Amino acid sequence: MTLLFSLIALQKFDPLAWTVVAVGIGIVFLSLFLVYLFFRYVITFFLNFRLRSFARKKGLDPSEVVTAKTLMSGEVNAAIAMALYLHLNELHDVESGVITIKRVSRNYSPWSSKLYNMSNL
Amino acid sequence: MQNRRSYTIIGILVILSLAWMAFVKPEQERKKLSAEQGIESVVSASVEQPDKQGDGKFTSGLRKFWEYTGFRNATPGHLIMIIIGLIFIFLAIKYEYEPLLLIPIGAGILIGNIPVFIEGGTNLQIGIYQEGSVLNYLYFGVMKGVYPPLIFLGIGAMTDFSSLISNPRLLLLGAAAQVGIFITFLGALVLGFNMPEAGAIGIIGGADGPTAIFISSRLANGMNILADGTTVKNLIGPIAIAAYSYMALVPVIQPPIMRLLTNRKERLIRMKPPRVVTKTEKTLFPIFGLLLTCFISPGALPLLGMLFFGNLLKESGVTKRLAETARTSLIDIVTILIGLTVGASTQADVFLTKESVLIFALGACAFAIATVSGVLFAKTMNLFLPEGSKINPLIGNSGVSAVPDSARVSEAEGLKADKTNHLLMHAMGPNVAGVIGSAIAAGILLSYLG
Repeated sequence: MTLLFSLIALQKFDPLAWTVVAVGIGIVFLSLFLVYLFFRYVITFFLNFRLRSFARKKGLDPSEVVTAKTLMSGEVNAAIAMALYLHLNELHDVESGVITIKRVSRNYSPWSSKLYNMSNL
Repeated sequence: MQNRRSYTIIGILVILSLAWMAFVKPEQERKKLSAEQGIESVVSASVEQPDKQGDGKFTSGLRKFWEYTGFRNATPGHLIMIIIGLIFIFLAIKYEYEPLLLIPIGAGILIGNIPVFIEGGTNLQIGIYQEGSVLNYLYFGVMKGVYPPLIFLGIGAMTDFSSLISNPRLLLLGAAAQVGIFITFLGALVLGFNMPEAGAIGIIGGADGPTAIFISSRLANGMNILADGTTVKNLIGPIAIAAYSYMALVPVIQPPIMRLLTNRKERLIRMKPPRVVTKTEKTLFPIFGLLLTCFISPGALPLLGMLFFGNLLKESGVTKRLAETARTSLIDIVTILIGLTVGASTQADVFLTKESVLIFALGACAFAIATVSGVLFAKTMNLFLPEGSKINPLIGNSGVSAVPDSARVSEAEGLKADKTNHLLMHAMGPNVAGVIGSAIAAGILLSYLG
């Protein structure tokens, strides 16, 4: 209640304060609302326009072209990308399954050679 | 865990208040009384005495050494500030409350409150307020508002505006939360601050440390002279500390308000996943965002100009090196400097005042009001939105620009209501909109009160 009275008193003595508050809140909303309008309508319009002209060039039906508004969500794209990644990297799934032993022939093995050990001291 | 943290913080605040009442207040009253009675301070007398008494050189040397030590020059205020600095460091290490800020600020408080010999106007060029000292040069960046735009450049280079572009209506939540700034501005006027000081205090409601420093360095810097001949107080330290403290306390302040203002049904609202945003849109956002906002509020140019410039560096895709530097090395360097110097500027004689207590109280109100207005505006928007496009009001709190802490709070509260409902990506929209909104509000305050 005291605060309310103080605010009323404030109105009496300092009209600039109320101007700052009213204009301040108004301008913050107005600025961000303009950005909202721009990105909600103007940018979307130009992106859709570009997609449609691209479709016309390729001989596709523009109405069937995916517009910016109906683009898939990032989650769907992430799921598709993950599936592709797993598919392309699952190399073990396509192995032949044939196990071979490669025979290595060696003319000389020094593991038990006294002469070799002596000369390599 | 959350309760324990709250009790710790409340306990610390109570201890500090008691310490202030017990030590600083009597000391201030004693000084005031001495000044009134024209009694020379005991301290200055002891400085002059050695030569008069003709002590030996050895004793005189020892006495001189003692007079220059911190132990000799310490006041209870210094000790309280050192305890506050230690608490900041403790909170950062123990609870990881904004450690990147609280560690430099805490260390700065310790550095700034080492008592130095200042009697008789001696300038040892050590303290932050002593002309010619290294700290004084570094503090120049705060006083002249150099650091905040550089921080904004880094923030721009690390921010992804995709969630905002995919659902632009979330911008309005960022605007709604700025109501806290202006209500706090009125509150500060009611409590007796003058207009520029009230404007600087109000910006705490924007929950943006760099913006708070920027505005207070312009409006409440202890240098500006008002039309009636009075000089504004230097409130940079208290305002910055209050802003950063409350930013760190976002996980404590916001959740109770959010739960109070929403019902279970609202907390369970699932929002549509954001659509894919094209590279063109991301590149156009900083360009048109800058033009649209700064043409309306040119006062916000230093902050918004740098924010959008940083974002353009990131999104253009051709200046990767510059973007990398802005979001890593540059912002790290500036964060160190700003944290340290703001901390060091809180010298006991400047910080431990009645104004600081009021600023802290107003700051808490500012955060609460900003959260309330964000949540209520989200609920109001839901009245007009069709089913399927509704907004979960738990993201309304993210309109305050404490990035990304308030978005994390939305996520945590959303998960408490429904373990599968992730709100983080949606909350990031209003969160970055809040950064833009608080910068615009700062610009308006500057243009009226600067």
